[in-house]
Amino acid sequence: MEANAITISGVEQRHPHFRLGPVDLEVAEGFVTAIVGPNGSGKSSTFRLLLDLAKPAVGRMTVLGYPVGEGDDRVWKRQIGYLPEDSSQEEHYLRGSEKAAFVRQWYPDWDVNLYQDLLRRFEIDDSLKLGKMSKGMRRKFELALVLSHKPKLLLLDEPSSGLDPIAWKAMIELLHRYMEPGDRTILMASHIVDEVRRLADYIVFMVRGQVLGKYEKDELFQRWQVLFAIPGEAGASSASLPALPGVVETEPASGGMVRIVTEHAEETERALHGMGYRISSRQILTLDEILHALMRRGAYV
Amino acid sequence: MGRSIDDNEEGVSVWLPININENSPEPLYHQIEVQLRALIVSGQLAEGTLLPSIRELAQMLKCSVITVRRVYQDLESEGLLRTRQGTGTFVASVQEEDRDRQRTASVIEAVEAAVDAAKRVQLTREEMLQIMLRILDERWKES
Repeated sequence: MEANAITISGVEQRHPHFRLGPVDLEVAEGFVTAIVGPNGSGKSSTFRLLLDLAKPAVGRMTVLGYPVGEGDDRVWKRQIGYLPEDSSQEEHYLRGSEKAAFVRQWYPDWDVNLYQDLLRRFEIDDSLKLGKMSKGMRRKFELALVLSHKPKLLLLDEPSSGLDPIAWKAMIELLHRYMEPGDRTILMASHIVDEVRRLADYIVFMVRGQVLGKYEKDELFQRWQVLFAIPGEAGASSASLPALPGVVETEPASGGMVRIVTEHAEETERALHGMGYRISSRQILTLDEILHALMRRGAYV
Repeated sequence: MGRSIDDNEEGVSVWLPININENSPEPLYHQIEVQLRALIVSGQLAEGTLLPSIRELAQMLKCSVITVRRVYQDLESEGLLRTRQGTGTFVASVQEEDRDRQRTASVIEAVEAAVDAAKRVQLTREEMLQIMLRILDERWKES
């Protein structure tokens, strides 16, 4: 139904100490997709591949409908805002305003009013040298820069690193407003659980260079639950529980109950009822608990 | 609607008193839909009220736009909402019979939840009935 802002098919990148892929991923236009995973799982490498800053060994990618690595890339790169994880050390001697004057040359759609508005909103003094800005102000400044040409696609690598809680909240609100027109797209890497909860529409789990799955956020939290099940008759065997639909983990709990982690609560519950079990209570899992369970299952831990 | 970082206005849409219970087995879209429907049919949201955009409501409720879009689509097909291209989603007019049905619907749902709770702790039908009668007496006296 929707168009894709990004497609990645069969992409692999091989380094002596790290192998990425094969990665297959589609990022739908009009949505916020968050890549979640531990450090070193290949999130930043994926961004660099998408921007043609590194070449894959095999595979194909498109960004905003243009094939990556072919032809004139200025057309589509002008429509992207990329916020890398680390700010460049080499620009420390530049004033903010000088960097902005440099960057805006590349973007015909640069909106000086929007840039000024973002500086005001974020309380940024762009007459400061970049090396003199606090970590948080520098981050906010870089974010203002990538938004000021009104990109169709934002690639944000750990956007909130260094932000204090107030600046963080301002950033979340700003990104929601950025998305308001409906045809814009954010692909972000984050390991801040609350950030993903507040911003993402889709969540992609990535571990050790592999995509473990893409999920609609609300459905993910709806499906993953911890169930405490009471057997119909005391002492009933729980040996067959791990084979029930959706069950990820089972372990004995107090009072003869079984603690069951499921990735499809509804199906697991139905199967449990069929076996005479009752559900005594349930908990939802946090994002990092889900990630951990996925990693354990894939033997990544 | 139409609010974006490119606009300089600081307009805030109507806040909706919708509570989400993250631990409830009820799907999120259903929780939101039931409450929004009640707000409309009870008249708390008057006909013609402009609702938050899909992205705004998703932000308020910390859910995905996919969920909100589903709720708006469902209520639109029930005739409770109207979407005008480029302007936003509005509350449509509510029929009298809808209003009557809605008045009892939320109560029925709450009583069902109470009965389920009773069954979980294995109360008998008679015990549950006594509790209901006692609470009815108490609350009616208060008001």
